[in-house]
Amino acid sequence: MLSLQHISKYYQVSGLKNFVLNDLSLEIDEGEFVSIMGPSGSGKSSLLNIIGMLDEPSEGYHYFAGQAVHQLKEKQRSALYKQYVGFVFQAYHLIDELTVYENIETPLIYQDFKGSERKAMVADILDRFNIVGKKDLFPAQLSGGQQQLVGIARALIAKPKLLLADEPTGNLNSKQGEEIMELFRKLNKEDGVTIIQVTHSEKNAEYGSRIINLLDGKIESSKQL
Amino acid sequence: MIKNYLKIAWRNLVGNKAYSAINILGLAAGMAVALLIALWVKNEYSYDKFLPDSDRLYQVRRNFNSNGETLTFSTTSLKLAYTLRSNIPEIEYVAESDGGSSHGLMVGNKKFYMEGIETGSDFLKMFRYPMLHGSAGESLRDPYSIVLTQATAIALFGTDNVINRVVKIDNAYNLKVTGVIKDVPSNSVMQFIKYIIPFSFAEQTQPWIKGAHDSFGFNAFSIYVKLKPGIAYTQVAPKIKNIEKGENNVNAKNSDVIMQLMQDWHLYSEYKNGIASGGFIEYIRIFSIIGILVLLIACVNFINLTTARSEKRAREVGIRKAIGSQRKHLIFQFLTESTLTTFISFLCAILFVQIALAPFNALTGTVIRIPFSSITFWLVMMACVFFTALIAGSRPAFYLSSFNPVKVLKGTIQVGRSASLSRKILVVMQFSCSIALIISTVVIYRQIQYAKNRPTGYNINRLLTTNSNDDLGKNYLALKNDLLQTGVVESMATASSPATDVGMHNDLDQWPGKQAGETVEMGVIDITADYFKTLGMRMSGGRDYNYVASDTLNVIFNEAAIKRLRLKDPINQIITHSGSRIRIIGVVKDALMISPFAKADPTMFVYHSNPSSNLIYRLAKGVNPHDAIEKIGQIFAKYNPAYPFTYRFVDDDYNRKFSQEVLIGKLSGIFAGLAIFISCLGLFGLAAYIAEQRTKEIGVRKVLGATVSQLWFLLSKDFVLLVIISCVIASPLALYFLQNWLQKYDYRVSIGPGVFLVSAISAVLITLLTISFQAIKAAVANPVKSLRSE
Repeated sequence: MLSLQHISKYYQVSGLKNFVLNDLSLEIDEGEFVSIMGPSGSGKSSLLNIIGMLDEPSEGYHYFAGQAVHQLKEKQRSALYKQYVGFVFQAYHLIDELTVYENIETPLIYQDFKGSERKAMVADILDRFNIVGKKDLFPAQLSGGQQQLVGIARALIAKPKLLLADEPTGNLNSKQGEEIMELFRKLNKEDGVTIIQVTHSEKNAEYGSRIINLLDGKIESSKQL
Repeated sequence: MIKNYLKIAWRNLVGNKAYSAINILGLAAGMAVALLIALWVKNEYSYDKFLPDSDRLYQVRRNFNSNGETLTFSTTSLKLAYTLRSNIPEIEYVAESDGGSSHGLMVGNKKFYMEGIETGSDFLKMFRYPMLHGSAGESLRDPYSIVLTQATAIALFGTDNVINRVVKIDNAYNLKVTGVIKDVPSNSVMQFIKYIIPFSFAEQTQPWIKGAHDSFGFNAFSIYVKLKPGIAYTQVAPKIKNIEKGENNVNAKNSDVIMQLMQDWHLYSEYKNGIASGGFIEYIRIFSIIGILVLLIACVNFINLTTARSEKRAREVGIRKAIGSQRKHLIFQFLTESTLTTFISFLCAILFVQIALAPFNALTGTVIRIPFSSITFWLVMMACVFFTALIAGSRPAFYLSSFNPVKVLKGTIQVGRSASLSRKILVVMQFSCSIALIISTVVIYRQIQYAKNRPTGYNINRLLTTNSNDDLGKNYLALKNDLLQTGVVESMATASSPATDVGMHNDLDQWPGKQAGETVEMGVIDITADYFKTLGMRMSGGRDYNYVASDTLNVIFNEAAIKRLRLKDPINQIITHSGSRIRIIGVVKDALMISPFAKADPTMFVYHSNPSSNLIYRLAKGVNPHDAIEKIGQIFAKYNPAYPFTYRFVDDDYNRKFSQEVLIGKLSGIFAGLAIFISCLGLFGLAAYIAEQRTKEIGVRKVLGATVSQLWFLLSKDFVLLVIISCVIASPLALYFLQNWLQKYDYRVSIGPGVFLVSAISAVLITLLTISFQAIKAAVANPVKSLRSE
């Protein structure tokens, strides 16, 4: 599904290169559920952002769904992204001024779905996530777990092939976290969504099919479960 | 998609009420100013364009070569009218006229003294005012006919269907109503017309006009011309230019004949070197620029506040990008928001303008309305709303949409700060404009005050003027005697010009030291006994008239005339005027009769025993004007039963000479006030934002022992610095424009550093006042609270 070859990401600080990712290579197949772990500053989030095409590597080759991402223009990258990727954040990042319904609907708007289709798709996912009753509430009126649920619903609404999650349970209590992880497992098994998550929690990492440990911008170890 | 955008835009507006109010109020004020000025400018441009064929209507003027200098006159001769009519085939119609004059109109016991025009029979075929009754071709044929406007007809008869009814004019002649036209609209230079009398009537009843037929030199009339369809002025111009030159007469030999298109009469009334170079159009241009500037100032508020508050929006931008929004979507979203804000502001602006129109109309003497029913108006307005939204919204849209989602979501960049330099530049622009307007207002008012304080050379207080007529002229001496008897009138005289004008200018045939071919534009005022005493003019040399028959061989000049004629020792010198040799017996001090801003006009005062057309009289000291006028009115009624008693106070007439300057001063004052208000509104918002952004810093400083005044200084000094920079930019700009403006006045105030200092200090004070509220609020806040919130 995607392949990173000799990827580096660094910041120039007074002439010195400060590496966040250092000559990292990684292959991920369709249907995998990968957990990325590592101490703070090891480059987990940067790796995820580069995979998700929100950020560009300083060097290296990046292939996604058969396309050379490093050669694409911003517009093409954005199109590719819209088609394949859903993003889930630690801090949920819902738009405060929009209701649950509208938050979930927004990605569809950017993908030019018609109003009636949008309605059906949002209704469907609200139903699946069991949050129909909350559709007219604003994010501030929800608990953290509920907000994250909305965040995931929003990430999945356009039926992405790849779901990227940056510490999705980081702000949740353990029970809420477990529910989210169960949901991820179900999505991976039943719907065949490829998932890459960044996490600090060993327990959550074990929901995946592979665990990658990062240290100082390099892959320290990779373990198939 | 747009629904989603509008929704979030609306919720953002409602969610940040103070911020939205500042944005909308500022933008609405800016738009209201721009709209008001636009309506006014449109009204000024609409002058006389409503008339069919107004692009073929001209007035004839003369470029007179006065010793090398070209003076342009609109008075022309009857001979020129006849010559144009018979010799220039490109001309369709010519109408000669008296250029407008006042007469007494009487029907039964209804008496009015009002202004109309005596003009040629083709007039209504040229100026095609809609006719309610009668026909344009026929109604001015018979000399003893009159065409009334609808309002005049109703005032005289109570109805406008008055064909063949009779109006008595000047208590002497019966004229038959042959036509009724609609009232001349206010946006017309012909607005003074309340009735039209055939010129043939004037010729039959005023014998002197007959005598004025045969010379190009007798320039006392106005000529209107309508060209044939398809004829350009450039085809006619070379044919008429030298048309007077053949006649052996100083006036004719030195006059080039030109014409001015009717549409230009109102805005291009000032001639320089024989070319219509300006006039009111200059103010129209200046105020158009001011309108646009004020709108831009308001747009700057929107730009600054939106970019300053971008931190709040940055997260949303990041999220939207992370869930698939492209930059163009975001740009479109933010432009939708600015369009919504602009549209709401526009609605407020319409309301503001509607409220402001009544006082504005009163101030400018116009009749402006918002054309609510015009589709074009709304289309243009919508275009303006979108354009404004684009100006105000572009920078925030491009700025906000440029955020890198990874960075803003992680909170690693301080958005909003990076835009602070451009924000400062915009603030400096705003304040430069506002301060320049303040400086201009101050200088305009100082110029008015300077001219008002100028000694006029005569006493305009308690002085009244009444237009004379046949009855008053016949009974003048008895009238004067009776008025003096009452004790409320101190002194009385007549003159051929009112005290605030010099109505006639003549050349002198000869004077000692005259150079060959030299001409002089000498003002001529015919006067009767007690003229100088009544006006309060002082002799500076020689003696006053004795006002006896032999004085008709004497003449009195003013000092300006003596200077113009280069006479070293004027008394007892002989000059020749209108063929008669007369002796200078006195020199009177200059009086500012024409313009308080210009040099006094060289004028000669000629004694006549017969009374002239203006009765000038001064109330006695200490009398109650109201009672005095009632008494005077009774005496006038006794000698002049056919007319209502009318009078004008000379000081009113004199002050009217400042009306344009006062208008400009008031308008620039209002717009300067609004500009600074809008600028301060923006500053207020910015100060709030800065204070909010520096909450933590203020808290730390307070904990470390900073006093409120130190913090106030900390928060204020940046803004004050910006305003001082603005003063430095605005001052030379304003100086440049104001010095240009003052050039048109001979008598002008000098612009010292005081004006700039006062303007700068007041700008700084206003700024401090605006931002201190926020600064002090932030400075007195409990630091524990602000630090905990971090």
